[in-house]
Amino acid sequence: MSEEKKEGAQAAAPQDVGAAADAAPAQPAAKKAKEPMSVSRRSLLIGVGGTAALLGLGALRYAGHVPLNRPPGGQDEAHLVSACIRCEKCYEACPRHVIKPAKIEDGLLGMRSPQLDFSADYCDFCAEENGGVPLCVASCPTEALQLPAGADAHNTIIGLAEIDRKTCLAFRDTGCHFCFDACRDAGYDAIQLDGNGYSPRPYVIEDKCVGCGACESVCVSLQQGSIVVGATERAIVVRPASSL
Amino acid sequence: MKLSKIRTIVAAAVFCVLAVGLIAGINMGTLSGFGFDSFSALCPLGAITTMLATKTLVPRAVFSIIIMALLVFLFGRAFCGWICPVPVLGKLRAFFRSPKKRRELEQAKRDEALDIAKFELGCGGKGGCESCSACKQQRTKLDSRHYVLGGALLSTAIFGFPVFCLVCPIGLTFATVLVFWRLFANADMTVAVVLIPLMLIIELVFLRKWCTRFCPMAGLMNLMGRFSRTFKPVIDDAKCLETSKGTACSRCAMVCEADINLRHPDYGERTLADCTRCNACVDACPANAITMPVVAKRGQDVKLAPNER
Repeated sequence: MSEEKKEGAQAAAPQDVGAAADAAPAQPAAKKAKEPMSVSRRSLLIGVGGTAALLGLGALRYAGHVPLNRPPGGQDEAHLVSACIRCEKCYEACPRHVIKPAKIEDGLLGMRSPQLDFSADYCDFCAEENGGVPLCVASCPTEALQLPAGADAHNTIIGLAEIDRKTCLAFRDTGCHFCFDACRDAGYDAIQLDGNGYSPRPYVIEDKCVGCGACESVCVSLQQGSIVVGATERAIVVRPASSL
Repeated sequence: MKLSKIRTIVAAAVFCVLAVGLIAGINMGTLSGFGFDSFSALCPLGAITTMLATKTLVPRAVFSIIIMALLVFLFGRAFCGWICPVPVLGKLRAFFRSPKKRRELEQAKRDEALDIAKFELGCGGKGGCESCSACKQQRTKLDSRHYVLGGALLSTAIFGFPVFCLVCPIGLTFATVLVFWRLFANADMTVAVVLIPLMLIIELVFLRKWCTRFCPMAGLMNLMGRFSRTFKPVIDDAKCLETSKGTACSRCAMVCEADINLRHPDYGERTLADCTRCNACVDACPANAITMPVVAKRGQDVKLAPNER
């Protein structure tokens, strides 16, 4: 078909319009060479290919992803995945910068969806900044982050803190109790010390812990030298509610 | 300065401001959900798919769709020509082409438009030849972008999440900014540093003419753009070289980034429903015959393509 078109082009090439006018009516084929067929075939190909690709991508729903600590209002995992359009507004809205995009390594489906990262700070539902109404929830345009009525920083379970006794400095008799202090300051008192000796050991009271991340954000086990070779996370970390 | 340059600068500036805002946490959102505090103008496709996936009406999403529909009604696909970062990336892509290849592509487009012009003038018609039955090309009401749009909606309905958002090049552009920023600021190394830009490159390089042939957003805007009657380019037949002097020109078709043939609408890959109000045809017209009036006067309206009637 393209050859036909070229021929048409050459025939029409004698440059002045009069010649083209003479040549043109003689070859209605040139018009047909404007490929209505190939255009619609291409549309069909793109349509079928695009739809197949998007359906394949949709099947990721069944592949799922590893459980993640979700920001306030994202505890209904199925709803979050359904509603989140990855607009990235919550990352910006978070005054403490604890919301980050989930990694591909944790599952393609969750990629770029919001996840809590307690490495530098924790989530207090914007108590200071917005009177206890999380700004991420307020700014989420699709209501993917949505708190049920009456939900607050004390009755919304994001996750549960877990202490790794192998890497916890307190279990190495250093007297460290940063997590205990942080939890008390955050107002939960979910970490207690067992009171024995000069280095009391912390433990988590599961009924009180909501997974705010205060303990994880202050844990120094990784910074304080390679106590345990190969440790990749802090000695106290929040495990996602959906994994419990 | 040429308007096409200004357009590129506007789109690049919008992108830069939003990207800096995203990093600095100014909280004005990205193009997927632009707005301050609890106000957001959502991406219309995102708004539709999120509601389809959750099967609930979200006030902000409905509101956003109405606003976007009104904007498209007024300005057509101006978003694509003036704001969207993807065409800017496309220009970057063109920059990396060899000069020879670039010339070849330009020449091909020129030749095609000229052939059409010569042929149509030969037909004796005024920009179109109703008398000659061979010319009645059947243009379907829907094009490939609408099929991709349908596929996106179908997949969302079946699997219950906004599927297209995962691969949307607009979203991926901002995701690239974020993932690079996190790499340098937080030493947050992830496969996404490679994968997200890679997906973007694949879409722009291997899916040629993304905006004209693939983009479901463009398809969505096209559906509304068909009803738009404002700021559309109009040819003054008394000045146009083709109608007044009978010279094959078709510069307007050569420069159109939306693949519209303004002089011979039947032959363009797309119709005026896809006009991005980019002004390229106005700038290119050697006879200054093209204007973009607020509302085209009666009888001055350009010949509508069959699927716009």
